[in-house]
Amino acid sequence: MPNLTKRYPIKARDYLKAGEVSIQIQGLLKIIGFAPDFIRRVSLCAYEAEMNVVMHGGDGELTLEVDTDRVDLDVRDAGPGIEDIGLALQEGYSTASEEAREMGFGAGMGLPNIQKNSDSLDIISEKGKGTEVKIGFIA
Amino acid sequence: MEQTHPALHYVQIDEKRCTGCVLCMKACPVKAIRVRDRGVAEIVGACIDCGECIRVCPHGAVKAITTGSDPSKLSRYTIISASPVLYAQFDEEVMPNEVLLALRKVFRYIYDQAYIHELYNVAVELHLKENRGKEGAVRPLISPVCPVVNRLIRYRFPSLLKNIIPIMTPREIAARELKKRLYCEKVFDTSEFGVYHITPCSAKMGSINYPMFLDSSYLDGALGINEVYELISKNLRDLEEDVILHRSSGVGIGWGVSGGEIAGLEDGNFLAVSGLSETIRYLEKIEMGLFENIEYFEFRACLEGCIGGPLTVADRYQAKRTVARFVRMFGHEKRLKYAQAEKAYHDGWFFNEGRKIPLAATNRKLSLSDALARQKKIEEVFRKLPGKECGLCGSPDCRTFAEDVADGQVGMERCVLLNREKTK
Repeated sequence: MPNLTKRYPIKARDYLKAGEVSIQIQGLLKIIGFAPDFIRRVSLCAYEAEMNVVMHGGDGELTLEVDTDRVDLDVRDAGPGIEDIGLALQEGYSTASEEAREMGFGAGMGLPNIQKNSDSLDIISEKGKGTEVKIGFIA
Repeated sequence: MEQTHPALHYVQIDEKRCTGCVLCMKACPVKAIRVRDRGVAEIVGACIDCGECIRVCPHGAVKAITTGSDPSKLSRYTIISASPVLYAQFDEEVMPNEVLLALRKVFRYIYDQAYIHELYNVAVELHLKENRGKEGAVRPLISPVCPVVNRLIRYRFPSLLKNIIPIMTPREIAARELKKRLYCEKVFDTSEFGVYHITPCSAKMGSINYPMFLDSSYLDGALGINEVYELISKNLRDLEEDVILHRSSGVGIGWGVSGGEIAGLEDGNFLAVSGLSETIRYLEKIEMGLFENIEYFEFRACLEGCIGGPLTVADRYQAKRTVARFVRMFGHEKRLKYAQAEKAYHDGWFFNEGRKIPLAATNRKLSLSDALARQKKIEEVFRKLPGKECGLCGSPDCRTFAEDVADGQVGMERCVLLNREKTK
């Protein structure tokens, strides 16, 4: 079974480059030839996860795994961690900084959006020790 | 003329003038140019006729093919419908009506297309109003006016083809109405006239000969502004202002500049974006579903809008100032009867019958597993490359070179820097 793995570094608070990783993933999946709505779901989730690292995380890394029948994203960061994951999954709940909000981000829709658009979501986080978000999609 | 892609392109490279440098290849936003063994630039991929290569070539080797390239193709009686960008090419004192009169000294019948822009604005307003209440309506909608954006969407963002608003472009409406009128009036033998568009745009010929949403275009050809500029300048010298050909307000003329189209719309959540790289960025995000709050996008592939087109003569920033002056001078009130425009909309005047959504245009169709295997190969090749993006191999950048190697079009030995490492 052919399978492709790619890693993308994400820099915290680099708003200028924010979104770049998800756009690259979108382009890659398009060249491979997945269905448009599948690509939309994956790239939207990648975008939200990427923005979470940019806004909250320390530096992080996104690992993309592509197979013919599924795509997985694993996003790790060395940020502050999530105190209450249940709360973070509620629409509109946000701990984003003033800086992020001023730029139009941090509306509290990131993780809820990921949950809505993915087929599996696993969040491993401990306060002070960073976060790992695993997102799965079935093509 | 040899064709490499089902949709013909009208940007062509003169091999006699081409020195085989990498500038056009580097500038091409869709990576359609290569410099291979023949030592000259060649268009090998899906060209969208944007004209970026025309702008950067220092040797004048890249040209847009228009009807003006071969004037013998013009009909005996030539009807002209000009883009208002033309009005902004001359000294600020030259008024639109004078430009139209100068054209009339050469061509048989002249029409001010800017007036149709104002009608079109009403049609878009009404369409957006209908769309607002509709369940499952497509959002955001995209302006169909820029032919480069249409082609870009077809090649790279086919899932957004459905977002292009189903209203005919003003240039097509203008040509259709002119033909109707001239047939009815029987002014001249109908087989002997043609309607031509004067344009700043290198993609108009493609949109006329291979229209995306029509079976065939109502236009018979296009002339570049650069091709008629001298003719008009000469004729501007001794004009008699005996008739008013200019009908539009500032709204229609304002279309020449990015933001001009949406400036003619009632309040709503619209956005105007210009320049190819910005346009691509937005289309990528729209495809992710990020801009569903925006109702209507005005995209223009040329920076600052059509005044920045590759076939213009005046500098885009000076032209922008001239357009702004005309907008002030002719005002923000549309010169049309709203009720009439509204009736025309409901009568279907702005739509073409049997509008088809074109198929996505892709170069290859591999199975998912073959495509994935190809992608792995590309990554493998890419990791070996020096990443200097020099273009000496004849591909525009290292990633595209990796693709070309994976597809078996060229060998690794073409990478000059890798070879140098080996021989050290």
